[in-house]
Amino acid sequence: MATLETQQLDDIIVKSRRRMLSLSTSALAGLVLAGVTKKAEAATLMDSDYLNFALNLEYLEANFYNLAVYGETISSLSTPIGITGTGTQGVVVTKGGNNYASCKVPFAYANIKAYATETALEEGRHVSFLRGALSTSAVAQPQIDLFNSFNALAVDAGISPTFDPFASDANFLIGAYVFEDVGVTAYHGAAGALTVAANLGAAAGILAVEAYHAGLVRTSINTLDRASTTPGTLTGYTQKISALRSSLANPSSSPTTQTTNGGIKNADDQGIDNTQMVALEGTSATYPSTTILDADNNSICFSRTPAQILAIVTGNSPAKASGNTGVFFPAGLNGNVN
Amino acid sequence: MEKKLNDLIDKALSRRKFMAGAGTAAAATLIIGCNNSSPAPTTTPAPTTTPTPTTTPTPTAAPLTDADYLTFALNLEYLEAEFYLYATTGSGLSSADAGSGAGTTIVPSTGTKITFADSYLQQYADEIAQDELNHVRFLRSALSAAGATVQPRPAIDLTFFAGLGTAAGISGTFNPFTDENAFLTGAFVFEDVGVTAYLGAAPLITNKASYLGPAAGILGTEAYHAAEIRTLIAGNAAASGATAAQTAALANANLIAALRGKISAATDTMISGETMLSTSQIVNCDSTNAIAFARVPNQVLHIVYGGTAGAGVAKGGFFPAGLNGNIKTTTT
Repeated sequence: MATLETQQLDDIIVKSRRRMLSLSTSALAGLVLAGVTKKAEAATLMDSDYLNFALNLEYLEANFYNLAVYGETISSLSTPIGITGTGTQGVVVTKGGNNYASCKVPFAYANIKAYATETALEEGRHVSFLRGALSTSAVAQPQIDLFNSFNALAVDAGISPTFDPFASDANFLIGAYVFEDVGVTAYHGAAGALTVAANLGAAAGILAVEAYHAGLVRTSINTLDRASTTPGTLTGYTQKISALRSSLANPSSSPTTQTTNGGIKNADDQGIDNTQMVALEGTSATYPSTTILDADNNSICFSRTPAQILAIVTGNSPAKASGNTGVFFPAGLNGNVN
Repeated sequence: MEKKLNDLIDKALSRRKFMAGAGTAAAATLIIGCNNSSPAPTTTPAPTTTPTPTTTPTPTAAPLTDADYLTFALNLEYLEAEFYLYATTGSGLSSADAGSGAGTTIVPSTGTKITFADSYLQQYADEIAQDELNHVRFLRSALSAAGATVQPRPAIDLTFFAGLGTAAGISGTFNPFTDENAFLTGAFVFEDVGVTAYLGAAPLITNKASYLGPAAGILGTEAYHAAEIRTLIAGNAAASGATAAQTAALANANLIAALRGKISAATDTMISGETMLSTSQIVNCDSTNAIAFARVPNQVLHIVYGGTAGAGVAKGGFFPAGLNGNIKTTTT
C-alpha cells in the first residue's frame, strides 16, 4: 500500500500480464475438461459433500482471521478448534517459516481490530458448527497456505510482487476481501443443491453471515481508502482481485458487463468503484453511486459452482474433475469436492 | 445425523399438513429453528411452543405457494425502495414500478430528500436505492413470468418511523429524512429485517430450481446492505470527534434492534433477541454458531405492522392497509 508500490503499479501490471498468461495456460488446456468436470460433480455429490467442501473454506478463513488477531492458528488457540477428521490433515503455512506469532497484525485502528476479532470468532464458529453437523464424517483441516498464496495472487492480480496480508490494517482488509465475497458465492451456489431442508437453512444462514462480513470488509476498505494519501489505491486493488477471481471462475466465457449498478467488465464479480452512477427512477444515470455490493444487474448476489470456487482457491482454471491443488490448498482439499 | 434430520422434517411436514396456511409458519419454525438455537442439526430440540390446530384461524385455506412468498417479499421490497428513493430523490416508485392499483405512500410533510453532507453517504444511499428498485423490478418480472398475479405496491406510511421510534424509546419524533445520520438509523430498521425475512422464507420455497437461487441471492444483498449500514453507524459513533447525531444514530439503532427482538420473541420462539450493534458486533447472528437469524413471515408481519400482538393483525405500522397478497395476517 506504500507510495512506492503505487508508483510501481503500472510497471507491475505490465509484468503481471505475462504471469496472468502463464496462469491462463492451464485455463486454455483445461477448456476441454470443463464439461467433464461439471458432469462428474453433478452425479454423486450429497449434502455432506457440500458441507465438507464448505468446511475446507471455513478452515481457510478461520485460520486467516485468527492468525491476524491472535497470531495463532485455530488449533493452537487457548481454546482450540478441532481440525481432525477424514482425509489428510495439514499444517498452516505462513511467513517466517510458519512463525504464527509474526502474523499478528499491528492494527493501528481499534475498529478494524474489533472487526477482525469478531470475524475470527464467527468463522471459528462456522468451523465448529460444520464439524458438529458432519460429526464423524467431517474432513480434517487440509494443508493451508497463507504465504505463497497471497504473493502469487498479488502478482496475478497485478497488485504487487509480494503481498503480506498481515502487515497492516489495509493489507489485512485486502486479504479479507479475497475471501468473503467468494464465501458468499460458494454458499449461494451450494444452497440449491442441498436436499435436506435443515442443511439448506443452515447454509443460507451462513451465506448471510459471509455477506455481512463482505459488506463490512468492503465498507471498511472504502473508508480507509478515502482517508489515505492515495485514494483509489485500495479500491483499485479490489477491482483487480475481483477481475482475477472472475477470470479464474469463468475461463471460457466472455466477460459480461454489469451495467445497471456498476459497469465493471467481469462476468461475476465487481470491486469497489466510486465512479459509478445510477439512474434510480430517472431516465439517465445521474446519481453518484458506488459498488459496495458485489452483485449482478438485478442486485442479486452472484453464485458459483464448486468447480468455479475450486478454480479460485487452487488456481486451476478451469478446475479439474478432482485432485486440484495449489494457491491456498497446496495439497488439495479434503472430501469429495476437490 | 440424516435420520434425525429427516425425522425432524417429517414431523414438521406432518404438522404442516393439518395446519394449512397459518401452519406453514409454524412448520418453518421447526425447520429453521435448527439454524438458530442449536449447536448442530443433530441436537435440535423441538420447539416447546408449537401452535395447536385449534388456534389456526383458517384451517381450510390453501397452502401457501412460492408465488405467495415472492409476493410477500415484493411487499417488503416496495417498502424499502420507497424509503430509499424518497430519501435520495424526493420521490417514490414510478407508476410503472408501483403497478396498477398501487396504494399511496404517506411521507413526512417536511420533505424527504436528504441533503447529504457526506458525499460517500450519498453514494451509499444511491446504490442501495438502485438495488432495492432492482429487486422490485426483478420480483415483479419473476411473478409475471410465473403467471402469478403481480400485486401492486400497497399503501405505505413512511411517517410511521415516528410511532416506531416512540415504541422503541427514541426521544423526540424520529424522522429518518431529516439528515444523514437519522437516515442511517432508518435504513437500519429495514435491512436486518430483510435478511431475516428472506432467510425464514428460503427453505419454504418448493421450486428450488427457479426461485431458491434468486431468493438466496437477494438475501445476500440484504446482508451486504445491513453490514454496510451497521459498519457506518458503529464506525461513526466510535470515531474520535463523533457528533451528537452520530452517537444518537447508534443508540437509536440499538433501541430499534431491542424492539424488533421483543416483537419477534413475543410472537414466536425463534429469536429471543437481536445482537446489539457495536464495533465489536457488526454481524447480526446467533452467538453459538454464527448463523444469521431467521424470521418466519408471521414475525416479520408483526414487525412491519408495528408490534400489535396476537393473531389476526392484518394492517398497521408501515402498511396502513396491510400487505397485498395471501401473506397478510398474523397467525399468532
